[in-house]
Amino acid sequence: MPSSENQNHQFLRDFTAHEPAIRAFVRRLVPGRADADDILQEVSVVLWNKYSEFRPDGDFRAWAFGIARYEVLGWLRDKGRDRIVLNEEVVEKLADESAADESRLCRQREALETCLGKLPEKQRHLVMKAYQPKARIQDLAEAEGKTVSGLYQWLYRVRRQLMLCIERQMERSTPS
Amino acid sequence: MKPELEPIVQHYLDGSISPEEARRLNEELATDQEARRRFTEWLNLDSALAEAAAGWSLPAEKVPQKPRFTRFHFGIAAAAVLVIFLTVLPWRSHSPATVVSIAGVPEWTMGLKIGTKEYHIDEGSIELQTREGARIAIEAPAVFRFPSSMRMEVTRGRVAADVPPAAKGFTLVTPRGEAIDLGTRFGVDVVEGGDSEIHVFEGEVIAKNRHDEGGKSLRQGDAIALRTETSAIRNLRSSAFIHPDEVPGLTAGLAAGQRGRAGDRVDKLRLDPSLIALLDFEKQIPHQGNFRVVQGRWPGSKAPEFVEENDHLKLDAGADREWPLLTLAAWVRLDKLGAPYQSLLHTDDWDENKKGQVHWMVTRHMTMRLALRGNTLADTAEESEGYPDSRTSVLPEQGRWVHLAAVYDSTAKTVRFYLNGRFDKQTLLETAHPARLGPAQIGNWNRNDRRLSGRVDELLLLGRAMSDQEIRELFEAGNPYHNHQL
Repeated sequence: MPSSENQNHQFLRDFTAHEPAIRAFVRRLVPGRADADDILQEVSVVLWNKYSEFRPDGDFRAWAFGIARYEVLGWLRDKGRDRIVLNEEVVEKLADESAADESRLCRQREALETCLGKLPEKQRHLVMKAYQPKARIQDLAEAEGKTVSGLYQWLYRVRRQLMLCIERQMERSTPS
Repeated sequence: MKPELEPIVQHYLDGSISPEEARRLNEELATDQEARRRFTEWLNLDSALAEAAAGWSLPAEKVPQKPRFTRFHFGIAAAAVLVIFLTVLPWRSHSPATVVSIAGVPEWTMGLKIGTKEYHIDEGSIELQTREGARIAIEAPAVFRFPSSMRMEVTRGRVAADVPPAAKGFTLVTPRGEAIDLGTRFGVDVVEGGDSEIHVFEGEVIAKNRHDEGGKSLRQGDAIALRTETSAIRNLRSSAFIHPDEVPGLTAGLAAGQRGRAGDRVDKLRLDPSLIALLDFEKQIPHQGNFRVVQGRWPGSKAPEFVEENDHLKLDAGADREWPLLTLAAWVRLDKLGAPYQSLLHTDDWDENKKGQVHWMVTRHMTMRLALRGNTLADTAEESEGYPDSRTSVLPEQGRWVHLAAVYDSTAKTVRFYLNGRFDKQTLLETAHPARLGPAQIGNWNRNDRRLSGRVDELLLLGRAMSDQEIRELFEAGNPYHNHQL
C-alpha cells in the first residue's frame, strides 16, 4: 500500500477513535458548543499536518490534547477581548486537571446514554431538539409554547436530573 | 462547589452569563479545585448531550439515501480527501461511525461520516470505525443502518466486526435476531429474505433468535443460522467474510489498477489456442449446479460460493481429446480447514477404464493435490499418500483470496505446484497418462461429498504447460491486493 494512503487510513482511524474525547476536552475549556466545533476543526487540521511527527506507538489522545490545549489558549487570547471567557490561568488549570481525569469523564459521558433512556420520551425529544447543532432556543421555545427563560430553566432542571442519574450510574459501576 | 455558583455555571452554559457573574466564576475556579472538578463535569455533560443530539434523529424524519456533503477541491491529491473531511467536520460530526477504507463503492469517500439513516451499497467493500473503535467490514450487496454507534441493523449483506473492549456490547441486528458482542471478532451474513447466520471468529457472542427469551452463547469457531422459526448449528465460515484488515489491501489493489490488469490478462488468455476453459464469472455464472452467487475478487463481479453439502458447479470441457499437457489455475477463498478433501475440480467418476481422469483438490493437510487416474509416483517422490501434493499449505493467510496452480506434463512426467504465483515444488511420476477431462464438478465431486467450503474465481484450464514466469504473471495480474506476496 502506498505510504500516503496508509497514513491517511491510520490517521482517520486514530482521529475517529479519539474525536469524542478531543471534542469534549475542547468543550470543557470554551464558553459555547459552536466555539468548540470551530476550534476542533482547527485542531484536526493541525493534527493532520503534524501527523508525520507523531510516533506510531505514541499516545494519540495525549498528543491531541496537547495540541488542542494550545489551540484553545490561542483562541481565548484572540476572542477574549469581545467575549466573556474564563481567565487564561483558570483554563490552563482546567485543561491539565480535566486531561488527567479523562477516563472518569469518559465514563460519565457513556453513562449519559442510559440516563437519557430513563427520561420520559417527550422530555428526551425536547432536550435532543435543544441540543441540535443548529437549534435556536427562541424558535424552540415558541414551538413549545414556553418563554425563552422558561425553556432555559427547564433545561437546567433536566441537566440537573441527568447529572444526578450519572452520579448514581457511576457509583453502581465503580468496582468495590 | 458552592450552591450559589451552580446557576452561574448554567448561565455560562447557556451563553447568558453576565460580566459580574463571570468575574465571580473566574475567582472561584482559580482557587477551588473542587469547583473546577464540578465545573468540568457540567461542561462534560453539555458535550455529551450535544454528541447524543447529533446522532439522534426524529423518528419520522425523512432523509436522503445517498451520503451527501460539500465538496472542495485542493491541489494535493493524497490529502484532498482528508482536507474535505476535516473542513466540514462541524456539520458531520458526532456520527455513529466513519468510513476508513473503501474498495470499489461508487460515490463513497474516505472520512465520510455515517448518519443514522439507511445505507445501500450495491458493490465493493467498506471498512467503518464506530465512535467506540469497533472496526466493521461490510461486503456488498448490503443494506444497513446505525441507530447508534453501539447498534447496527443489517437487512442484507455480510458484515464482520472487530470489537475492542471499549465497544463491548456492540450489537448486530438482523431481521431474524441479533448478535451481542462480549469483546470479540464475529460476523453476520444476511441473505435476501432475511435469514441470517452468526459466525464467531474469536471470543464470545450472545446470539438471540427473535422469538427467544434468553440468548445462546457462541464461542470461537461456533456458527448458528437464524431462521423464521428455528435456529440451527452451522459450520464456521470465516473466509466468507471480508475482514476489516483486508479492506485497505483491496482498496490499494483497485487504486493500483489491478482490475484492469486482470481483465487484460483474461482477454489475452481467451485468444490462447490451447485454452480449454476460462471461468471468470465477471458478470454472471451461466453454468449448471447448486451454489450461491456472491461477489468475486472485484467490486460487483460474481463468483460461485459453495456452502451446502451438495453444492457444486458443473463444467464439461475438453472431452474431445487427450491432453498430454495441462495447466490448472484458480483464485479461491477457503472457509474451512481440515476437511478430508475439498474439490477444486473433479471429473465425474474415477474410472479404471478412463486413465488420466483429473482430481484436483485441497487435502486435509491443507496441501494442494493433483491426482490423475492410473498415474503412479516415481520412487524418489516424498509423498506418502501416493498422489502428487504441494509442500506448502494453501492457506498462508486465512480469510483472503489465494491463487492456486498446478502444471501437468505427461511427457516429462512431472507435476509442478504454485501458490500465489510462487513455485512450490515438482513431483516426479513413474506412470503419466495424458489428462482426460469431460463432465466434471468444480467445488465438489459427483460421487462423494468433497465440497470446497468457500468461493472460486477465475478458474483456468489450459492445454499446455505454463512456465514459472507465466504463472507468476497470471498471479500478479489477477491479484486483488496490492503488492501482496506470500
